[in-house]
Amino acid sequence: MKLEMREIHKSFGSNHVLKGIDLDVDEHEVVCLIGPSGCGKSTLLRTINLLEKIDQGTIRLEGQLISDGAANPNEIRQRIGIVFQSYNLFPHMTVLKNLTLGPIKANGMDPTAAEAKAKDLLDRFGLADKVHEYPDRLSGGQQQRAAIVRALVGDPEVLLLDEITSALDPELVGEVLSVIRELATRGLTMVLATHEMGFARDVANRVVFMDAGSVVETGPPSQVLGTPVEARTQQFLARVIEGGRL
Amino acid sequence: MNSPLSAQDHEPLTGRGRSYFDQEGARGALIAFVSTLAFIVVVLLVIGRSENWPTVQRSFFDFELMWESRSVIWRGFRTNVWMFMVGQVAIMALALLIAVMRSLKGPAFLPVRFLAIVFIDFFRGIPIILGLLLFGFGIPALRLPGLPNSAVFWGLVVVVLSYSAYTAEVYRSGIDAVPDSQRLSAASLGLTQWQGLRYAVLPQAIRNVIPALLNGFVSLQKDVALLSVLGVREAVREAQIITGRTFNYSPYVFAAALFLAISIPSARFADWYTARDRARRSQGAG
Repeated sequence: MKLEMREIHKSFGSNHVLKGIDLDVDEHEVVCLIGPSGCGKSTLLRTINLLEKIDQGTIRLEGQLISDGAANPNEIRQRIGIVFQSYNLFPHMTVLKNLTLGPIKANGMDPTAAEAKAKDLLDRFGLADKVHEYPDRLSGGQQQRAAIVRALVGDPEVLLLDEITSALDPELVGEVLSVIRELATRGLTMVLATHEMGFARDVANRVVFMDAGSVVETGPPSQVLGTPVEARTQQFLARVIEGGRL
Repeated sequence: MNSPLSAQDHEPLTGRGRSYFDQEGARGALIAFVSTLAFIVVVLLVIGRSENWPTVQRSFFDFELMWESRSVIWRGFRTNVWMFMVGQVAIMALALLIAVMRSLKGPAFLPVRFLAIVFIDFFRGIPIILGLLLFGFGIPALRLPGLPNSAVFWGLVVVVLSYSAYTAEVYRSGIDAVPDSQRLSAASLGLTQWQGLRYAVLPQAIRNVIPALLNGFVSLQKDVALLSVLGVREAVREAQIITGRTFNYSPYVFAAALFLAISIPSARFADWYTARDRARRSQGAG
């Protein structure tokens, strides 16, 4: 098992955001977290690479306990990459510098090797001509693709994607999703929180429906999205269909 | 600094970069010229015809005395210049250190944050002149072995500490203006808190506050003259000595002109830089 999460609890003040989550992710598996806004999926993602410290429970990466405070969070974050909704590229650095900063400074990668690798990845994802551009000269879709590539340069074992298309104009969503599709074909282990149900059905091995800080239903996409068992899942999907997103 | 907007460097910044006259047209320029000229003539006539003007002129604008004292005051002014140059470099470095100390997050850094806050509260809270008297006269009077006894040294130390307390807060406002998502982003790449500050946050923060730093520099240019109370032979002190001997205030006016010759261009440069930075940002965002 790549990732094992047991009984994860997390509160912000009096707000109990995660109420005992269990989640396993296999090697090469793509898991989609779906659920209404505020259900805790973003928080769950951030606890996995220790950007948020959990209050209770255990997280194991390749069997190694990483949630007890003994593991070096910076090392874990090199092994578990994350991409955010709002890209968060560094505005004062070129795309290339954005991509190589982490690998060079955190992973200790040789700068020449890091640059070669970054350029190769940019090329593969159609951003070869943006290598020396600053982020504010890129479209939202290009920025988000660059942010995904940034998370890949250090060769993470797991990639977390937090609603990466939610901030994009509708016509730019496709180019970003196609990047994720390609990563899925290559067998990268991914956990993604998304509102794109159609995409979840296409790309996920497993869909996890969360509501109010708990996992309500989990299973293959055809089952959870097609013939959900739980009433809350059915209600949520009915609303999504009304909204025209499935 | 290499520009993210190299394409735009070659074209005029519409609106902001254009001069006043372009916007008003030739007719506007003529009106502005004539009215300015008329204003100056009227002012000169009123002042020149006043019956007290000769007295004022003798006391404040004795050009012969200015000419005689020019080299002494100029030598003093060179002391001002090196004091505020050295001071500014020291202030920018020390203030940045304090601001970084203050913005470190996590319980382990509590003593560091506390120290930074105490420093800022203390040196921002006492008048510079009091600090000068206390350190500039007090410490040399102790005759402690190993410590410098020079008034310039201790005077400059006080000015640097006081300015650093203010400037640290300037930096901190710049650091606070960088969105938290940038720190989060740095952390998510596996960078340590310090690396995130150094490579992601501080470059943006410093760029945010350059206009404010320039403004502080203009202020410092004048405040180093406070060291004259310690007997440092800078421009104001030299002018004071001549005035004390001649009972004529013209040397002060000459010294004032020297300060203005530096501070006015500095202020205009700060304005220009701020306007350019703002124009670039609004273009970058659009």
